[in-house]
Amino acid sequence: MTPDRDDRLLAAEFVLGLLDAETRAAAERRLASDAAFARDVAAWQKHFAAFDDTADAVVPADDLWRRIEAGMAAAAPAALVTPPGLLRRLWNSLGALRIAALSGTAAAVAFALVAVVSLRHADEVAARKPVYVAILVDDATRQAGAIVNAFADGRVEMIPLVDMTVPAGRTLQVWTLWNREVGPRSVGLLDRARATPLDLQRLPTTAADQLFEITLEPAGGSPTGRPTGPILYKGTTARTL
Amino acid sequence: MAAEPSSDPSALEPQVSAAIVRCAAGEKAALRLIYDLEAARMVGVAIRILRRRDLAEEATHDAFMRVWRSARSYDPSRGSARAWLYAIVRNRALTILRDERRFDPEQQADTDLPQPDQALQRLPDSSALRQCLQQLEAGRRNAIVLAYVHGFSHGELAGRLGMPLGTIKSWIRRGLASLQECMG
Repeated sequence: MTPDRDDRLLAAEFVLGLLDAETRAAAERRLASDAAFARDVAAWQKHFAAFDDTADAVVPADDLWRRIEAGMAAAAPAALVTPPGLLRRLWNSLGALRIAALSGTAAAVAFALVAVVSLRHADEVAARKPVYVAILVDDATRQAGAIVNAFADGRVEMIPLVDMTVPAGRTLQVWTLWNREVGPRSVGLLDRARATPLDLQRLPTTAADQLFEITLEPAGGSPTGRPTGPILYKGTTARTL
Repeated sequence: MAAEPSSDPSALEPQVSAAIVRCAAGEKAALRLIYDLEAARMVGVAIRILRRRDLAEEATHDAFMRVWRSARSYDPSRGSARAWLYAIVRNRALTILRDERRFDPEQQADTDLPQPDQALQRLPDSSALRQCLQQLEAGRRNAIVLAYVHGFSHGELAGRLGMPLGTIKSWIRRGLASLQECMG
């Protein structure tokens, strides 16, 4: 047998739970350091996972969640609260990129984002980067007008890239659409273009291909609860790498 | 044909994946969401291994603690979120099973023997796992199903299937090699 094949069988026996204590402990250590072995283990877990769905659902006793909750409070938190907008600070500090984006197209913005991410300590950025990014573009000119960043903790922010002209008595309104049956929901009102957190707390978690758009509406926001004015910029979310 | 979300648990995958990512950010409500979606089936998986409800709930409790503490190590690009979740609860159940055996080796003398065919018959006809397992010789297939679904060790398989330990080990390895080829 080839070493690769031996490793795959070892991964399978590890997943089945058949290894003796010593071999199991060695395999667990290997998971952290050997990416190929970790992939083999994940592949077998996925193969066998179909069996898990054949188990009867057994509703646990009421106190199980209370015990988990108590344990959660005692345990160290899963992660420190994500510091806000590292990417935004990087963005602001890199004037040249900003100018490129101001005059550029969606492609230039996308390139600039990639450049910012790859410039900095990859690990640090990875821990705080947005999970989804949408680049909002003017349909007619293809000019990028704003970026929406959605973070793992549920925060979503919008960063304008151009100074949008807002006539007197009008306002900028930000919308998101994740389900055509539900329709667009308002997530923010702005008197002028500025970086702002968007309110998506009561909406489902932001996902891929979710539409964000900015429309021009009467002061106080659309009277109908639906976009009524012209769409200035729009774009859909893509998962970051 | 669209399956009902409730009848096809694999449809929960995107919700569970997103919730684990939110757990990594310290969001307690996300752990509760995973609990609401998956805890009952996790207890069910653990009961098949431990055959005692109190121990199965213990394994589920431990699994949720582990998910909370190590959500950050979950890599959505590497594999399925639900496979990750169930690997954790199986792992906890197997650890508890080994500890229980150490303290109470008679525990296994139990008249209600798990039937390997039962879990197999419950897999959808279209399941690659089912199709590939069905191509295996019965002894090899039963050994693999009893190990995964019911947590049998090599020794228990030898006793249950009435074969020498060496034969069981070879059945498992050959069965897994065929399965690997079949599932790709």
